[in-house]
Amino acid sequence: MIRYALARLTLLVLGLFVASVLIFVTLRLLPGDVAQMIGGTSATPAQIAAISERLGLDRPWPVQYAEWIGGLFRGDLGRSLVTGTPVADELARKAQVTFPLGALSLLIALLISIPLGVLSAMRRGHASGTALGVGAQALAAVPVVWAGMMLVVVFAVWLGWLPAQGFPRSGWSDPGTALRALLLPAITIGVVEGAMLLRFVRSATLQAVGQDYVRTAAAKGLTRTQALLRHGLPNVGLSVITVLGLQVAGIVVGAVVIEQLFALPGIGRMLVADVGARDLPKVQGELLVLTAFVLVIGFVVDLVHRAIDPRQREAA
Amino acid sequence: MLRRTLLAATALVAAATLTLTACAGGGGSTGTGEVDPDATVTVRLALAPNDLDVRVTSGAPLDQILVDNVYQGLVARTPEQEIVPSLATDWTVSDDGLTYTFTVREGVTFHDGQELTPQDVVWSLTQHRDNADWVRAVSLADVTDITAEGQEVTLTLSQPNSSLLWELTGRPGLIFKEGDTVDYQTAANGTGPFTLAEWVQGDSVTLARYDDYWGEPAAAAEVVFVIIPDTQTALNAALAGEVDVVTGFDATLTEQIEANGDFEVEIGASTDKGTLAFNQTSGPLADQRVRQAIRQAIDHEAFIEAAGAGEVMTGPIPSLDPGYEDLSDIAPYDPEAAKALLAEAGYEDLELTLTIGNWYSSTIPQLLVSDLDEVGITLNVDSVDFPTWLNDVYLNKDYELSFVLHTEARDFENWANPEYYFTYDSPEVQELYAKAIAATSDEEAADYLARAARVVAEDAAADWLINGASIVAVATNITGMPTVNVNERIDVSKLAKSDG
Repeated sequence: MIRYALARLTLLVLGLFVASVLIFVTLRLLPGDVAQMIGGTSATPAQIAAISERLGLDRPWPVQYAEWIGGLFRGDLGRSLVTGTPVADELARKAQVTFPLGALSLLIALLISIPLGVLSAMRRGHASGTALGVGAQALAAVPVVWAGMMLVVVFAVWLGWLPAQGFPRSGWSDPGTALRALLLPAITIGVVEGAMLLRFVRSATLQAVGQDYVRTAAAKGLTRTQALLRHGLPNVGLSVITVLGLQVAGIVVGAVVIEQLFALPGIGRMLVADVGARDLPKVQGELLVLTAFVLVIGFVVDLVHRAIDPRQREAA
Repeated sequence: MLRRTLLAATALVAAATLTLTACAGGGGSTGTGEVDPDATVTVRLALAPNDLDVRVTSGAPLDQILVDNVYQGLVARTPEQEIVPSLATDWTVSDDGLTYTFTVREGVTFHDGQELTPQDVVWSLTQHRDNADWVRAVSLADVTDITAEGQEVTLTLSQPNSSLLWELTGRPGLIFKEGDTVDYQTAANGTGPFTLAEWVQGDSVTLARYDDYWGEPAAAAEVVFVIIPDTQTALNAALAGEVDVVTGFDATLTEQIEANGDFEVEIGASTDKGTLAFNQTSGPLADQRVRQAIRQAIDHEAFIEAAGAGEVMTGPIPSLDPGYEDLSDIAPYDPEAAKALLAEAGYEDLELTLTIGNWYSSTIPQLLVSDLDEVGITLNVDSVDFPTWLNDVYLNKDYELSFVLHTEARDFENWANPEYYFTYDSPEVQELYAKAIAATSDEEAADYLARAARVVAEDAAADWLINGASIVAVATNITGMPTVNVNERIDVSKLAKSDG
């Protein structure tokens, strides 16, 4: 187990390194730079040159990369070229929106997908099982943006139950208000992600139904449902954990879109704005943290999977 | 089950068509209630400022949020573009146009409590002139001497500059505290009716009434600028009662926002110029006939119809700016004439590429493609983000046609600057513009500008698809919202909310 964990950790660090290089280089292939953005449509070439020099944009790439990575080892994500403030501070502030949003979305996705997925598998052949399957298929194909718009029109504009956009400026000092602000966006992401997960749970359950151990348990006197719940579900759970890493990546991408749509001050919206401002040190800090987050989740999922799956334990 | 499905489907269809007439919530307020001095007024902006440094960072969001409201200059401009006193009580200009003398207002304090002195004025203007990376530093280049004596500050010029006062109503004229240690990128210390209370990066800027303000105190206790990029989201926010004013509104959504009587859409003039630039350094676009043909092939009314507001623009100067003249005789809509011009120039089968900002409505390129197709020009559309546009078009002039909405007032100088991305190089225009700048009376300057503008239009140096409007949706319990040229400046000091 320890050897496996170490090997997996090496892979994680290697992945982060490759990601850092990719992030650094691809950002610099984007046309335009922050000095031009600051100067705008009335800037003279001399003015832009003066801004570039002040910001140190004219230094060679390897120097800039070494500086960035060196900072990372000292726990310093760098500073924004535009505001001069530490990237880590702003990330921490925006994470107060994005992480609760992601967690809430995941919770909603799981609450929808697991019970309904198992149910639709067990009711296979019945009308309700088919309806669930088809419904999930349809929901999974719905564009997140459209789903969000519809939810806003119904719950914010018509019914007035929840805010249409925005996040309280006072943050989490009033948890109720903050939570309400995240509910519609989280449902939007959660329903779409949940529909995808539902199909996965359904097929995993169907697979379990056909397994020998379920049949054996049934032969020992359990009903099919009892056998499935007692012996099948742990296996379904394992499969769900495996795709959870992918789901988290999906939620991060969903958050970028949804934060824009709901005007939420989160990491996703900040990322889009910073790319637009060509504030490269900030963008690369944000991307690396998001990448690290997804990679670490994948790492933890693998370890957990290894730890709780007896077949893998024995193989090791 | 079926009934519920039907209900859901009906709800969705209704939502999709966005017929919001059946909207929940009480009826519209009448605005006859008392003005609430403790009110917070929430104003939607579409674009966020990246930082708050008004000295260095260009762009409309900082002008809209900070200029007039937090920072002030010796002189200010009204929405109608008149120059009025601000931190100077009055000023005189010598007959030769070389000496400007301002009387600095007494009893003005910065938001940190310190009193404004003429020395702060001298320092601010000198700093702005001498820092090459500050916004429009170049506009103070003619100022050789800035001195203070008593309450008077005198600017001495090396040559007359009829646009100097105007420039001083903008960024180059803003007055800061001498040697201030405030972090301009994230904070502010000005003399205006509002202090900067809070900035949530990319999300909102909150201004709070400055109680020791020298002039009439702000009507609202707090004004919050919230950044909502998406217009549909802004509409929903308004309908849900989350914002009081929506700037940069879409006039085609007027019926929806006015449906329940809580909002009214106000349309005002603006200096927004929807400029279709031609790179005329080489190729077919170097030929005036081709450019003229493009101008005559475009049905400008269609752009105004698509936007739901705005005016036809027939030359480089919008009606709010000095030197404006109706130039509709120069390039009237006439596809047949356009075809004839193209044939004469020998370009009967022309293919051109339009580089356009991806934040503009896709209707603009669609209309252009179909108009130009009519006269035998194939238009390819390259949609790019703002930094790419700045790099490729603005800086490197690597484009054929480009569309950008220029919001700046009085920016005719770009037609007299062959280095600008317009690539328009006319000695005649440059000479007329120089004369306009050297003029010592406003009338004289405007006359030269009008003559220069006519030449620009005759040369078909560009086309102007639309003179955009300021479109603002205002809640009916809000008063004092400026409606003219709001995309450039928003003085929110009179913005008031009634509790009725």
